[in-house]
Amino acid sequence: MSDRVTGAILVGLALAIGLEASTFEVAFLTDPVGPKALPYLVAVILAGAGAVIALRPRTAPEWPGRPAWRRMGGGALSFLVFAVLLEPAGFFVACTLCVALMSTMFGASRWQSAAAGVGVSAALWGLFVRILALPLPLGDLWTR
Amino acid sequence: MDALTHLMGGFAVALRPLNLGLAFGGVFVGTFVGMLPGIGPINAIAILIPVIFATGLPPEGALILLAGIYYGSQYGNSISTILLNVPGTASAVVTALDGHAMTRQGRAGPALAMSAIASFVGGTASVFGLVLLAPVLAKWAIRFGPAEYFALMVFAFSALSSLAGGSLVRGLAATAMGLFLATVGLDPNSAIPRFTFGQIKLLDGMDFVVVTIGLFAVSEVLQLLEDTEAGREVQAKVGRVMVSARELTSTGWTMARGSVLGFFVGVLPGAGGTIASFLAYTTEQRVVDREGTFGSGDIRGVAAPESANNAAATGAMIPLLTLGVPGSGTTAVLLGALLGLGVTPGPLLIQEEPDLFWGLAASMYVGNVFLLLLNLPLVGLFVRALTAPRWLLIPGVAALSFVAVYAVNQSPFDLVLMTGFGVVGYAMRKLRFPLAPVILGLVLGPLMEKNLRRSMALSGGEWGILFDSPVALTLWGMAAASLVIPPLLARRTPLPPEADLSEVD
Repeated sequence: MSDRVTGAILVGLALAIGLEASTFEVAFLTDPVGPKALPYLVAVILAGAGAVIALRPRTAPEWPGRPAWRRMGGGALSFLVFAVLLEPAGFFVACTLCVALMSTMFGASRWQSAAAGVGVSAALWGLFVRILALPLPLGDLWTR
Repeated sequence: MDALTHLMGGFAVALRPLNLGLAFGGVFVGTFVGMLPGIGPINAIAILIPVIFATGLPPEGALILLAGIYYGSQYGNSISTILLNVPGTASAVVTALDGHAMTRQGRAGPALAMSAIASFVGGTASVFGLVLLAPVLAKWAIRFGPAEYFALMVFAFSALSSLAGGSLVRGLAATAMGLFLATVGLDPNSAIPRFTFGQIKLLDGMDFVVVTIGLFAVSEVLQLLEDTEAGREVQAKVGRVMVSARELTSTGWTMARGSVLGFFVGVLPGAGGTIASFLAYTTEQRVVDREGTFGSGDIRGVAAPESANNAAATGAMIPLLTLGVPGSGTTAVLLGALLGLGVTPGPLLIQEEPDLFWGLAASMYVGNVFLLLLNLPLVGLFVRALTAPRWLLIPGVAALSFVAVYAVNQSPFDLVLMTGFGVVGYAMRKLRFPLAPVILGLVLGPLMEKNLRRSMALSGGEWGILFDSPVALTLWGMAAASLVIPPLLARRTPLPPEADLSEVD
């Protein structure tokens, strides 16, 4: 089943790429190949591969159970927390929360994850700001 | 003996105190990151590349650091393979057979030492191969026109597609995905935006660091979260990390054969390290395994794949450095790093930047020496680090690479994109798509398109120019062969089924 869905997704992606590429308008012909050729080639390969995968499914991956999905969801969320909070709330808040959430997902207790968050943030601040002299945001919310 | 004089000059570069420190630091950090369970060399390099960029080192120093990380992470991968039986790459799968068997017998020390010595032998022998072969190949490739380059890249793509994942269709799909990512951004020829969907941030194209970290490192964290119990039992006691004189002499020819085999397999595009270690292991099984002890803790079963693997890693540097065309996932990541550092490898690199090329060759050798002399006594320390709680190690390393990704471009958008690629990478691993071709497509795609368009502009739109020269025709033939032959061979000698083929290096 997974292979059929994957194949269908690949064919859909190929169609989308092909359609989008067909809208590329070049005012004058800069070179005989043009910007459309490679996207078209990509679309053809993807469509062909997707069709084969959908029509001749081979592998059936073991998808994880619900607790594992929850852990992975938490992990993905922790990455986004870092991305979203980094500039507004600053490095320390973003990094501490991100690492704490991630280590909770790896099974750390509340205190352990808090310690990991604070410890890793301090170590990385030392490495990037003190040693490598690269600025990291302190947070627009506090420094305004 | 022109090459030797140059190599001496290279050593003068590599042996400067700062560069020595960088080589050691690279080997040390590389070993540490590569040793984390499930993280193979390609992941380790991906994680550390933004850190290298962030250091702002001059190209020479950065390259030396990179080479150290490359070798270190390979050895680190061997450590976790031997101790925990969690090979981070398909190329380490055969090492696990005898290496982990030795650990279960309480002989982890000799297995780790053998792996270091075999890596050293393979690495050293192949550096000499590199020094001899690279200038010859570069001289030959200087006459390559855009049509030849285009054919060469098609060969690289087809070889990696068919060899990387065990499934040609999936390999091709992964390559196509990489090529698609390569087209995102402003088209350099016509200056129209492609697949940017009005996002200004996408005009510059997909940042190779973001894609690599997402596909490899972030998806690895997700995979570790899926199975938090994998590779938990750490054998903290490894005993003396030493081999006896008898063990050393009994593996001499094994390492010699492994090195030569690995080197030549490595030069060819495709999944060099995996095929090299697998071939070396099966060869030794045929040649020396008279009592049938391979697979049950035979030290020669560690020496063979480890020497071949390392020799292949150096061999794979030859097409990368002399042609500018990588043939594997790891070298594709290295090419991305080189381009990021402002170094364009190709036939002219040796002539135009001899300090850089020969310094790199020499520092690869120095890195190997460090591995042997410094890592052996430090193995106990690394193993103790392995016993540190997973909830501290993995988030710490992940955060390191996130911060470095931000430090390179100062763009939170990159971090979101990186997370997205992480989810895609996880799905691809689950569905058994190889990841390496995506990176190769991304890094090589723009070069391939450029050469295609340049040759067509030369011929005025006549497609025949692509098949005009004997060299181009040979390369087309090799590309076709790489698509047809491996499936036929695979029917006769299948790769070990437990190999996680999404992580062929």
